[in-house]
Amino acid sequence: MHWILPIGSSLRFVGLDGPVTIRRGLGGGSQGQVFAVEVGGESLALKWYFPGTLRRDPDLAERLAESIRRGSPHGDFLWPLALLRAEAGAGLGAGPAAGLGYLMPLRPPGYSGAVEHAAGRVAISLQNVLRAAFCLASAFHALHSRGLCYKDISLGNLFLDAGRGRILIGDNDNVAVSGRGGGAVIGTWGFMAPEVALGRSRPDGASDLFSLAVLLFHLLTRHDPFKGALERAIPCLDLPSRRRLYAEDPVFVFDPRDPRNRPDPIEHAGVLLTWPIYPRAVQQLFERSFGEGLADPGCRALTGQWRQALASCLDQRRLCPACGQENFLEPRSAGLCWACAAPLPPPPRLRAAAALVSVAAGNELHPHHLDPLAPEELEAPLARVEAHPQRPRLLGLRNLSSEVWSLGLAGGEEIRVAPGETGSLARAETLRTGAGVITIEP
Amino acid sequence: MAFPNVRLANRPLHFIYICDCSGSMEAQGKIESLNQAIRQSLPGMAAVARENPEARVLVRAVTFADAAAWHLATPTPVEQLQWRDLRAGGVTALGEALRLVAAALQSPPMEERALPPVLVLVSDGQPTDDFEAGLAVLMAQPWARRSVRLAIAMGMDADGEVLQRFIGPHPQRRPLQAGNATTLARHIQWASTAVVGAASSGASRLAGAGAGSGSAADPVPLPDLPPTELDPFEDAEPLKW
Repeated sequence: MHWILPIGSSLRFVGLDGPVTIRRGLGGGSQGQVFAVEVGGESLALKWYFPGTLRRDPDLAERLAESIRRGSPHGDFLWPLALLRAEAGAGLGAGPAAGLGYLMPLRPPGYSGAVEHAAGRVAISLQNVLRAAFCLASAFHALHSRGLCYKDISLGNLFLDAGRGRILIGDNDNVAVSGRGGGAVIGTWGFMAPEVALGRSRPDGASDLFSLAVLLFHLLTRHDPFKGALERAIPCLDLPSRRRLYAEDPVFVFDPRDPRNRPDPIEHAGVLLTWPIYPRAVQQLFERSFGEGLADPGCRALTGQWRQALASCLDQRRLCPACGQENFLEPRSAGLCWACAAPLPPPPRLRAAAALVSVAAGNELHPHHLDPLAPEELEAPLARVEAHPQRPRLLGLRNLSSEVWSLGLAGGEEIRVAPGETGSLARAETLRTGAGVITIEP
Repeated sequence: MAFPNVRLANRPLHFIYICDCSGSMEAQGKIESLNQAIRQSLPGMAAVARENPEARVLVRAVTFADAAAWHLATPTPVEQLQWRDLRAGGVTALGEALRLVAAALQSPPMEERALPPVLVLVSDGQPTDDFEAGLAVLMAQPWARRSVRLAIAMGMDADGEVLQRFIGPHPQRRPLQAGNATTLARHIQWASTAVVGAASSGASRLAGAGAGSGSAADPVPLPDLPPTELDPFEDAEPLKW
């Protein structure tokens, strides 16, 4: 790789007291290259732009400066920290073609590109995929709440911690106030809203909602929502055919009213397996975003609706008694396992003031389950269902809060469950927590 | 308890080097530079292939001197590719090389569905056979007409007009000039990474028709050629061809 900044050198930039040591190149895209750097003993990432990018996007410096002034809307964005300009005579540009870049946090270890998930190269649980999807919707919720839009979200700028179901969002240099012009990048084929791809409007919050739905579909199904029979009919997937497939005549592969683009049973077998895993509430948000939402941006699922549907899907998680696979069914209903078709009896449930949560190892209770007014959050679980270390069939609820709980057993007995302890659910009828009472339904 | 063992559906992306191995490539270490540039570009190319799961990047190579021959005949996944050195000697049978490529782009053996193929012609001289006839055979193939065709001129003796004929009548795209080993390596790297990424659809779309070096005539939006340390920004040429 030819790096546009000399690896190993210490460079000085306008606006920064100390030098920046270029440690190594991390990657390059169509706009510039990213380097691991050291600034004042701190390890950071530096994105440095190609001159062509700066010429095409004259507002870039102002947009970045504005983002830095506003600060990050959510912890999951690798947000710009400082704008760097080349010093005159540094050999990195001057005058109208002055070199420009910005510092941002380095991606911590444990995260890999979301493409690794799409390509089937990482092992991840369905629970963690849903958690990641929830985090993504939450990050966009926070971004949009500030009146900003991202413009170019795709698999390429999302990073995933498969072991924890966490995400990070990179490439935040296109972020701008929603609806305001400026910015050269308008999106990535397959993720762009049709009105943007056709050049009828600039990216804004509503087009972000379309791209977000596409990315969520990729995460949940490992498939492209518009690749079905219509894509199979295209011999050479070049620019004009992408335009037709994604912008001029897009048809969702599971459009309830238009069956023209159904997945192929062999080539698209993956999505035929993954789509039925998810509850109707989640499927309907996709059907709306990729149905009426294609032509009418006002019909696209909102970030809050995604958060609600995905959080509720996590509450419905239960494990197949035959194969152990994760299933997502309404907690009181029986059904069949999507993986092995074994019957799934209704599991025991935790009834809280604002939710009904299936009892399955790994499921969690969150503040929003007990407080109807609290927004859905997965950051700070109050309790987690865990199996007894020696008796895997015996499930209990681990107290992750800082308060002592009281577990009411059948027969009236009460036992104390201190923080960190796990109370067995086998004979439990009620659980009194500082945040409210939970009833255990057998 | 795991996500089902499925992956994003993909299409083959055929990437074919068409390399001049005539005797003049022996001079000034040009053939060594080319071998080195291609070999060095492979890790980056493999990384781009990995980042674009919708594409299955398959590499082949044709050489031409007294005759044309497949140097790497099997479409090889880039991560498995070990570059065998090219050797120079002979004249410049470019027309015949284009016929070989044409046969490879015929359906079959071409798959029913694929991404636009990328054809990269590297030459330092003038064809000694019937180039026009070879080009006509190539361009009779629908997959060739939809391919991304790039040409790299090594040194000053390359026939720019021939290379432009190979690229086609494009409003901006011109043969890339490689006057030394560094520039050659940069062009090869660009073709095997940025262009492969764009053909796989990974590249972000830019506002405005014809932004960058894109054009309505392109089967894929072509990214900019990045500058190098040797091209300080203030001296950068207009990056369009």
